[in-house]
Amino acid sequence: MEHQRCYIYAPPELAERSPKRQRTSEGNPQKLLRERMQTYREIWSHQEEKIQATLEEADIVTQEKIVKFVSAASQPEHEHSLAIPTGLVVVGPSIASHGPFFERLGRRIKEDTNSANFVLTSGESPNLKTFLKNLIKKATSRVEDDDDDDLRPSTSSKNGPKLLDFDLGHLQEWQNRNRVQNIVVTIQDSEAFDSSLLAEIVDLFYSWLDRLPFVLLFGIATSAESFEERLSGKSLRYLEGQEFDVTQSSETVEKLFSTTVASTDIPLRIGPNLSRRILERQRDHVQNVQDFSDGLKYAYMSHFYANHTSIFLQKGLSFKDVPEDVFDAVRTLPSFRRWIENLLGDRDTQQARKLLESDEFLFTNTVQQVQAGQNILSGLSGACMVLVRLRKSLQMTPHAPISSIWTRAASGDLAGAPLLRETMLLVKKISSDKFLQLLTSMEELDASAFSSSFTVDLDEYRQKLDELVTANDTSAPLRTQHDVRNDSLRTTVVAQKVLLSKHKAALSEHDKAYSELVTRFHDEMENYFVGAITNPNELLFSEILIYDLKSPHTEVFQPKPRFAIERALASPHDYLGCDCCVAGAGEDGQVSFSGTQPPTAILYQMYLESGAIINVSDLWSAFNAILGTQVEDSDTKTMALFQRSLAELRYLGFIKPSKKKTDHIAKTMWKGL
Amino acid sequence: MLPDEILSQLNSEFPCRDTQIRQLAALYSAHLPSPSLLVAHGLTATGKSALIKCYLSDSGLPHAIVNSKECITGRHLLERTMAACLDARDKHGSVGETKTKIDRRPYARTESLNTLVVSLGKLMGEWEGEDGMKGGKFVLVFDGIDAQREAPATLIPALARFGELIPNLSIILITTLPLTHSLHKPGVPHLHFPPYPRTSLLEILNTFPPKIFLSPPDADKFPDYTPDLSAEDDAWLWNRFLGAVWESLSKHTGRDLVSFRNTSMRIWREFVRPVVDGTFGTRDFSRLMVNRRHLFQLEDSVLDRIISRDAEASKTNGEILPATPKIVKKAPGLQHDLPYYTTYLLIAAYLASYNPSRTDITYFMKHTDKRKNRRRTGPTKASATKARKISRHLLTPSPFPLDRLLAVFRSLIDGDVPQVADLLTQISTLCSMRLLVKSGGMGSSDVLGEGGRWRVGFGWEFVRGLGRSVGIEVGEYLVGGVDV
Repeated sequence: MEHQRCYIYAPPELAERSPKRQRTSEGNPQKLLRERMQTYREIWSHQEEKIQATLEEADIVTQEKIVKFVSAASQPEHEHSLAIPTGLVVVGPSIASHGPFFERLGRRIKEDTNSANFVLTSGESPNLKTFLKNLIKKATSRVEDDDDDDLRPSTSSKNGPKLLDFDLGHLQEWQNRNRVQNIVVTIQDSEAFDSSLLAEIVDLFYSWLDRLPFVLLFGIATSAESFEERLSGKSLRYLEGQEFDVTQSSETVEKLFSTTVASTDIPLRIGPNLSRRILERQRDHVQNVQDFSDGLKYAYMSHFYANHTSIFLQKGLSFKDVPEDVFDAVRTLPSFRRWIENLLGDRDTQQARKLLESDEFLFTNTVQQVQAGQNILSGLSGACMVLVRLRKSLQMTPHAPISSIWTRAASGDLAGAPLLRETMLLVKKISSDKFLQLLTSMEELDASAFSSSFTVDLDEYRQKLDELVTANDTSAPLRTQHDVRNDSLRTTVVAQKVLLSKHKAALSEHDKAYSELVTRFHDEMENYFVGAITNPNELLFSEILIYDLKSPHTEVFQPKPRFAIERALASPHDYLGCDCCVAGAGEDGQVSFSGTQPPTAILYQMYLESGAIINVSDLWSAFNAILGTQVEDSDTKTMALFQRSLAELRYLGFIKPSKKKTDHIAKTMWKGL
Repeated sequence: MLPDEILSQLNSEFPCRDTQIRQLAALYSAHLPSPSLLVAHGLTATGKSALIKCYLSDSGLPHAIVNSKECITGRHLLERTMAACLDARDKHGSVGETKTKIDRRPYARTESLNTLVVSLGKLMGEWEGEDGMKGGKFVLVFDGIDAQREAPATLIPALARFGELIPNLSIILITTLPLTHSLHKPGVPHLHFPPYPRTSLLEILNTFPPKIFLSPPDADKFPDYTPDLSAEDDAWLWNRFLGAVWESLSKHTGRDLVSFRNTSMRIWREFVRPVVDGTFGTRDFSRLMVNRRHLFQLEDSVLDRIISRDAEASKTNGEILPATPKIVKKAPGLQHDLPYYTTYLLIAAYLASYNPSRTDITYFMKHTDKRKNRRRTGPTKASATKARKISRHLLTPSPFPLDRLLAVFRSLIDGDVPQVADLLTQISTLCSMRLLVKSGGMGSSDVLGEGGRWRVGFGWEFVRGLGRSVGIEVGEYLVGGVDV
């Protein structure tokens, strides 16, 4: 076939059917896909709005400062200044969030000041020429959008010398037409720029500063000091400005979590396992807001794609829209089965039968129960928020962020947890001045608005507390009977033994009344927590309301490329699934070589057993001992296999030729790193 | 303007440059012939460019100035030169009946020096001086031509010979050092701008003394403190202050005008604060010096920084600095926290860079306990005298292969880390932050190549801080120990 340039490859047809399991019935897994997608889009668009709002809010302070700085840069006092106004924006080590941040910042700068903003990255600027070309392109093409082409001054060769395309004269022309207040040039990833390039940029911009009102913004991942260290004194002299610190991304992630997962008005939640994994990944590997929202989005997508019953999250669903399959799916849900069993346990066979037989009855029940489940989950989230508020106003340590409290609550660990008990004990001991703060903070939260089970009447407490405080004639705050300051320790010596006994100090009238008030508050709060904190995993239809599958997330966001290659080579049976290679596994778990394995895998296993430098001749004899046929002349085929395997290992980067010893190759990769 | 007027005005604008101004005036006057080439050289901040520019524009000579700083390539310089000459021609040539602008079409492209010389020759041939005669004088100034990027090797010698080919063109080259050899032409006049000596510097800076009181003192309280009196005080104190700054700081660090001025301006406000507060009178110079001596002891004022000190000072407003404040130097580091494993990766990279690989067994093998036995706590006295060894952390980092970094990383961490792609992502993130640097070695151009070697891009203080943030004393793992 060598004479043909191309040909159609016809695979040899196998008589047997492939061993893969095949679907036997004609089910359509894509049923209602469109509706589910619609539901997903609706729900996700709300989440996305929330995410955007949170992000905007997170760095609004910094952005305002920067905008102020930019608009101040063109004030008359700056006109005679001998340096380029420079903002050092410390964005933090999560490179991926630099882009969105500067995009938002650019939008604000353009909206709030009469300035043009151009963002340039290191990828676009390998050298000064390309940097300038890109800058000019960004500046001038943007004008073309609103202006007519005819208005552009003709710089063509007809009219004399043409400006080279990296000449800042283009920018000057553009400035003459647009008259912007400032030309803000943002260098997004300043670390990735060559120091010499940065120096050249600064030098050039400085020399044009009398004609073009430049403002430089540098995005910095490490710190402003290390940025200054990279520039020479001459460049530093040309720059003058301020440093802006952006909110740490861990704080932003915490905020995002509380609005997108632990908030009260969310139809679909991610479960504790998944959220723990996402948060751990944020802490251990990447600190990146973008990644968090991507993970969340993927979880939502997976839920709606793979789960038929997720259609019940759609609002205003009618019975006609739901095909039979979905009801079959609902009936297979573990939580549904538990429900039926409970009904049978209660001897309510009527309802159980009806649920199993009538689709319509099941439909109304499911819709109701899903709604009820959503309310319970909102109540749980509300309780978490109340708990966080409580701990914050009681100034308790360790500081427990809402993400950790919510994750514990969602996994059902919070009810009766020491964390909760400890908090409630402290509530009992609270003094009146702190109680006042606590009430204020709870009023701010306005818990009854989002959680119907929150029945504590804060106004009444405040009223009573105010009465008590005004009645209190001493300057000291009121204390409850549980406060340790009301205890006194008495020691008595009886028969040479020291007896310690606690005594309550006599409480004043006010203190007594106050104690009663606080005790009542405590009891009500405790009741509220007991009512609100339930185990969501036992909830009916928790499969619809909570998505908690780990593996799709891990596979998509945390792939293991190196592990996969090493495993495939070290134990090919895991991937091939054939019968012949299984025999290769020895009794003690040690894999022994077998000739049926792919030759590269055999060579790799030998490679694993050898040291840092490998004698190729030894390797060949070992290889030949396994794959060879022991007949003298038929080595050629084995040798071909050997050489191909060796080449493959080299291609994968496992070995490289070594100069240290002749006939040896060097090992470059170790397994398990 | 008359020549004498120009001279007196320039002298007032540029004090202490009398000789240079007179030489310029002698060489470039409207009616006397000028040299075809002049090299004006001098160190930075000696007034070369500004003075020449001012003189040419004042004297009304047709001229064009090309700044090499703004030219990205050699070709760019040629294009800009041509454009500048045409612009100057339009500006100056519109005398008499030749009101029309010059036809620029023949000069559309200037690819090489040859084109430039032909085009310039043509342009200058048609040039009409102020008296309407053909062949009027034209001065072309190349500012900072020695720092031209991507300049062809023949650029400067060719420019030097332009005057031979084009009779009415005179070229001025402004450079830092005298161009003696690179011109390949003997007998070129040089005009030297020497650095300002102390007296001149003081004289120049004394011209405009800054104010002691930003807002004038209350007129009711001090009715006899007139603006005149205030200006007199400003000048008096500023003069003495400048002397002190020169003797203590600028003499040893930056002797040029700009550095001296920057240094003085940086500490001036801090220096006069007791006066503004009312602690000292305006003429209590010696007491002020003793009180503010710390300003002259620290290096902060001579360092150039982006973030101005005023901004920082306003943060710690109200705090009264002690007379000799401790030098608080921030360790270079990150302003934000790194993720947990990233921190470990950086520590591992540092150790892989600074420990020789043969010691890895001693330090990182988990099943041997040799680490405690073999760890050296610095050289003994006998060996120290024999061979003086530089502590490892003061040397440059040596490159290491990626697998060594990962191996050290895994041995540093208790417990298992899954082999996820996130680790590799972090390495590439650190690489784009230049904390890890890809360095030479075989196949370094290929990102996935097996021969790629890496280095760390940070120092000992940084890694020590990182280690402490996760509870590792990095010094314990460093071969040879650290004395700090």
